[in-house]
Amino acid sequence: MDDLDLDLDPNLDLMTRLSALEARAPGPAAPPELAHGRRRGRFALSLAMAPVLALAVVGAAAAGAAVISRMAEGYPGIENPGQPLAGANMECMTPPDAAAFLAAHGYTDVDWQVESGTAVTPEGGKGTSSSVHVTTPPAHGYVIPGSRLPGGRVIMVVDQRVGATGVGACFGHPMP
Amino acid sequence: MTATDVTGTARADGAAVARDAQDAFEAAVRPHYANLVRRLVLVLGDPHDAEDVAQDAYLKAYRSWDRFDGVDVRAWLYTIALRLAFNQLRGRRRWLAAIGRIEPRTWADPADPDLSAALGTLDPRTRSALLLSLVDGYTHAEIARMLSVPEGTVASWISRGRAALRRELDLGR
Repeated sequence: MDDLDLDLDPNLDLMTRLSALEARAPGPAAPPELAHGRRRGRFALSLAMAPVLALAVVGAAAAGAAVISRMAEGYPGIENPGQPLAGANMECMTPPDAAAFLAAHGYTDVDWQVESGTAVTPEGGKGTSSSVHVTTPPAHGYVIPGSRLPGGRVIMVVDQRVGATGVGACFGHPMP
Repeated sequence: MTATDVTGTARADGAAVARDAQDAFEAAVRPHYANLVRRLVLVLGDPHDAEDVAQDAYLKAYRSWDRFDGVDVRAWLYTIALRLAFNQLRGRRRWLAAIGRIEPRTWADPADPDLSAALGTLDPRTRSALLLSLVDGYTHAEIARMLSVPEGTVASWISRGRAALRRELDLGR
């Protein structure tokens, strides 16, 4: 093998290190089993069982839907698909700008949950943080679009932790 | 030959075709699976999430195997997986925001913690584009097709991502 001085080319060095990093990342031994074909016979049901199965499926689906709808009614994400502010990208706004945007869309009752502390420890572990709830938006921090509560109240998260990265379209951008 | 015989033969043929398709799929896709999981660990930052997305991608790829154009199976599998990964990231952030929790979950390589940390500062799409370019050697046009973005966007992501990594790692230029 040729003797390469990897330090001479930052691109080559980066490529080599990235490849090595990926090679050291954990990977499983095998992909999941495919159910089609070989295993189909084991799960075959007789026609006589079909109505029972159908009833069970319908019952479970109805019960599940009821539970999920109650959960979803309580805390729909303000930017979730189907919600009034879907795709608004508030994560790219400063907290005061997000407050103004919310107010312009009729959301004046906002609970700002401000996270402070550290996102990660110097060793790369999970940092420590605390949160306070305030009614006026803080001047800076990453905005994380939150939930719409019953009664039109909105909860918004502002991440001010050291080492925070932001989310969504503004992941990795400088903290506003 | 009776009608029952014909039906039985058709079923047997269908099962054989399905088995052949499954064998062909596994022969083509299985060799890329472990590397896909490793790639997703770097993109998602979490080995468990990576494995979940890889499994979903593998099953989704199997279900759409008949639509594969036969050109580059790795690019096809990675395309499916990366799109699922981006959806998963979007959903995870919204969920964490909705429940008021922010939990960084980043896999770090003890052998090269600086590069792990530097990579973690990049947006997942930038990270993906950079890896597809530098590690896999895909062109900007190919990456643009895989990530469903304009070629110029890919060029910008790669340029900015490379500059950020060099800066973080003090590689110069």
